[in-house]
Amino acid sequence: MYSLSKVFKRASLIVLFLGCTPGANAAIQGVTGTPDGTGVTFNLTTSTSNIPTPDGNSVRMWGYGVAGSPMQYPGPTLIIDQGTQVTVNLTNTNIPMKVSMLFPGQEGVSATGGTAGQFTQESSSVLGDTVTYTFTAANPGTYTYYSGTQPGLQIEMGLMGAIIVRSGTADQAYNDPSTQYDREYLFVLSEVDPKVHQDVEFGLLPMINNTVSHSTFWFMNGRLGPDTFFPDNSSFLPNQPYGSLAQMHPGERVLIRVVGGGREGHPLHLHGNNINVFARDGRLMSSNGVSADLAVSDYTIQALPGATYDGIWEWTGEQLGWDIYGTNAGGQTHDCNDVAPVDGFDDVTSEYCADHDVEIPVVLPEKQETAFGGFYSGSPFLGALSDLPPGEGGLNLNGGLFFMWHSHNERELTNDDIYPGGMMTMMIIEPHSAVIDPGNP
Amino acid sequence: MKNFKMHKLYIAMLATGIGMFSTNTIAVPFIQCPGDNFLSDGVTPGSNGVPEVVDPNVKCLHLSAGDGFATMADGRELYIFSFGDITGSDEANAIDDGIMFANLPAPTIVLEQGQEVYLSLTNVGMVLRPDLSDAHTVHFHGFPNASAIFDGLPDTAISINLGSTMTYYYNLAQPGTFMYHCHVEASEHMQMGMLGNLYVKAAQNKLPDGTNLNGFIHNAGNEYVYNDGDGSTFYDVEYPIQLTGMDPDFHDANETVQPLPFANMKDKYPLINGRGYPDTVIAGPLPAPVKNGGLVTQTQDSNITAVQGQKILLRVSSLSVTRFYSLKSLGLDMQVVGMGAKPLRTAADTANPYTTNTITLGGGEAIDVIIDTTGVAPGKYFLYTSNLNNLSNNTEDFGGMMTEIEITL
Repeated sequence: MYSLSKVFKRASLIVLFLGCTPGANAAIQGVTGTPDGTGVTFNLTTSTSNIPTPDGNSVRMWGYGVAGSPMQYPGPTLIIDQGTQVTVNLTNTNIPMKVSMLFPGQEGVSATGGTAGQFTQESSSVLGDTVTYTFTAANPGTYTYYSGTQPGLQIEMGLMGAIIVRSGTADQAYNDPSTQYDREYLFVLSEVDPKVHQDVEFGLLPMINNTVSHSTFWFMNGRLGPDTFFPDNSSFLPNQPYGSLAQMHPGERVLIRVVGGGREGHPLHLHGNNINVFARDGRLMSSNGVSADLAVSDYTIQALPGATYDGIWEWTGEQLGWDIYGTNAGGQTHDCNDVAPVDGFDDVTSEYCADHDVEIPVVLPEKQETAFGGFYSGSPFLGALSDLPPGEGGLNLNGGLFFMWHSHNERELTNDDIYPGGMMTMMIIEPHSAVIDPGNP
Repeated sequence: MKNFKMHKLYIAMLATGIGMFSTNTIAVPFIQCPGDNFLSDGVTPGSNGVPEVVDPNVKCLHLSAGDGFATMADGRELYIFSFGDITGSDEANAIDDGIMFANLPAPTIVLEQGQEVYLSLTNVGMVLRPDLSDAHTVHFHGFPNASAIFDGLPDTAISINLGSTMTYYYNLAQPGTFMYHCHVEASEHMQMGMLGNLYVKAAQNKLPDGTNLNGFIHNAGNEYVYNDGDGSTFYDVEYPIQLTGMDPDFHDANETVQPLPFANMKDKYPLINGRGYPDTVIAGPLPAPVKNGGLVTQTQDSNITAVQGQKILLRVSSLSVTRFYSLKSLGLDMQVVGMGAKPLRTAADTANPYTTNTITLGGGEAIDVIIDTTGVAPGKYFLYTSNLNNLSNNTEDFGGMMTEIEITL
C-alpha cells in the first residue's frame, strides 16, 4: 500500500518540514526589483537546467531567473506596487531559440531591443542581446507572464511565472475592503509532458509535435508532491524555490492566488471549506467597478490555463456539532470567551462557542482497526497530540488539522505513473498558540 | 436476489485472504446509531443501524466498502471497488452482506439540513484482490468547515482497516449538492468506482404551509435547492446526475494484479450515474452482473421525466478522475442556480442565476441546474456531453455520456 506520508517520510527530510527555519513559507516569495528613479527594474535571464522529480528522475527545463541567479520553475514572482513604472530587461543566456515575455493583463506594454517576433521583441542567445519591456502596473491583482515565442513549446518547457501587483492599501488584494486578508498564498499550476523535454534535451527540436501532448507530471509552484510540502528555498531543489505548504489560525482570512500557468485546466479542490473567489485575471468580479458583488463561493476552483483567480478562504470549524478543541472533561481544558464584539466566536482563538465543551458524538475505532496518516496528531482535536503506534504520525508538530488542496482530476496526483504525488499540497489549521511566521504571527 | 452459493464461496476466499495478510480477526461491526438498541428482530440487544427510538433529526447510514462488478452499456462487466448500502444489516451479517456488494455509482445519499448524520463504514475487503489489505474512507466532498477526523483523507487522519468499522459524524448546517468518495489511494480507488451522489435538502422545504417568502407563497410539500427566501430555487422533481468515466484497461489490470496505468489512464466508458447510454434511461436498477454472484448493484438511473410545466432540478456533479466534461441540453434551457453547494446570489441577496445550454465541470465540481418545462412541447429531449468523442461505450461509437429527458402532458 502506498501512502503519501510514508513516501514523504522516506524522503528522510522531516527536520526540514514545517520550517523551523524562520521565514519559511512566511509570505509569498518573489522579487521586487531595483528602484531605478522612475520605477523598478527587473533584470532577468533565461537558461536551461534539469529539475529532479520525486519518482527518481529528472526533467530538462527552460526557465526565467534573476540575472546572476539560477533559472527557476516557475520564473521569479514579480511583486510590484500598483502604479509603478516597470522595466524588465530580458537576456537569453543559453536557450537554443529566441525567447521573449508577454504580460497579459498589463496595459501599454512596450518592447525595445532584440529582434521582432510574432508577438513581441525577442532575445537570442547567439546574439547575446537584451530586450527591454516596460509597462505601468496600473491595476492590483494576480497576473501571469510567459514566453511569447513558440509559447506552445516554451511554456511547456517552463518559461512562465506570476506577477503580483499590490494595491495601495496594505493587506488588501484590491481596492475594495472585502479583499482584506491576514495571510496570502500563491499557487501556480502547470504540467509537463516528459517526451517533449527529452526531445529538447537530445537536441531534437524539429521532432516535437505539440498536437500529441500527453502530460504525466502536474506541478504546484513548480514542484511535484510531496516536494510541495518542503519550505521555500530548500537547498536540494535549487531551481524550484517556491513551496506550497499553507498554514493559518482559525478565524483568519487567507488570500489564495491561483495561476493557471500551463496549457491544461485543473479543478483545484480545497478540502475543509469553500473559497469565496472575488477576482479573475487581475480584475475584481464586479458589476459596478467598485465592490466584488459578483464574487462566488465554491469548493473547487475551475482553474483554466492562462487565467488567474483570487479568493478568501476561512475556517473556524463552525457548526461541527462538537468541540473541535475537545472537552474539559476529556483533558482539553479551555474556555470560550465571546465578549466584544459578540459574534459567536471566542475573541482570541475563534472557537465557535455554541459547540464549546460538546463531546465528539462518536467513539473512534480502536487503534488496531485503523491506518494512520503521517499528518495525523493522534487526536481529532485541534491543538491536541495523542499517542500513536510506533512509526505512525510524526509530521504534525502542533496538533494542527491538515486539509489537502489538490487537483481533483485525481490522475494528476501522480508523478509519471507513480502514485502519490503531483498537484497537491496541504493547508494546516494551526492552533492559536502555534507560531506560524515569526514576522506575522 | 443473491446467488447464495457463489456468495459463500467469496466469503471463503476473503477469509483466506484475511488469514494470510492481516493480523486482525474480523470483529463484529461496531455500528453507532443513537436510538438503535436491538438487532433486526427487535428483541436481541445489539445494533443494525436502524433506530428503535426515532429522532427525526438523526440519520443513520451504514456502508460497506469492497469490490464487485458493474455492467457497461456494451455488456462488459468491469471489476470495481465501491460502497454498498447495508443499512439495516445486523452486526452478525453486515460483513457478509457487504461482500462483493460494490455499487456503481456508490449508493445515492439524500440528507436534510439540520440532521445529525451517523455514517458507519465497514471495510469488507476485496474478494478478488486478497493481496490488497487496503483501508477505506468516506470523504464528504465540499463539507463546510470540516474537521480533519471526518474528512476521510487518509494522510491527515485515520482510515478503516479490513474487517473493521468507523462511524463518521456530520452535523448538516448547510444545504447543497455535494458528493462523496473514498480518498485512500485516491487515483486508484476513485478510478475503480468509489464515487457517489450526496446532497442535502434545504430547511426551507419544511416551512409552515402558506409562509410568505418575500411574495412567494410556500405551500406544504414545496421543495427548494437552497434557503433562498424568495422561492427562486423552487423545483418539482429532482435528479442527481454524476459524471464519471472508467478506463477498462485500468480495471482489468487491477483485477489481474498488474501494474496500474496512471499515466495512460483514459476513460473509454464515459458514464452518467455509473451507466453509459442507453442503459442510463433504463428506469430502476440494471440486472445484476453475473460475475458478482447476482447482486443488484447499479440502482441509480438517469431516466429524467417530468410533466409539462414542472421544474426539473438536476444536481450535476463530476467525479471524473481524468478530465473536464461539458454537458449540453438540446432544446431545453438550463438555469444555473447554484455551484459548489452555494446559491448564485447578488451581494444584495437577490437571485442571480444565468441561463445556458452547456455547463462544464472538472472533477470535484457541482452545478445545480433548473429546467423549466413550461410551454415545452411534450417529447424526448437529450442531455449529453458535447465532448462528442465521449458519446461512446468503449468501441461502440454511439452511447456513453448521454441520457434523456421525457416531457409528458
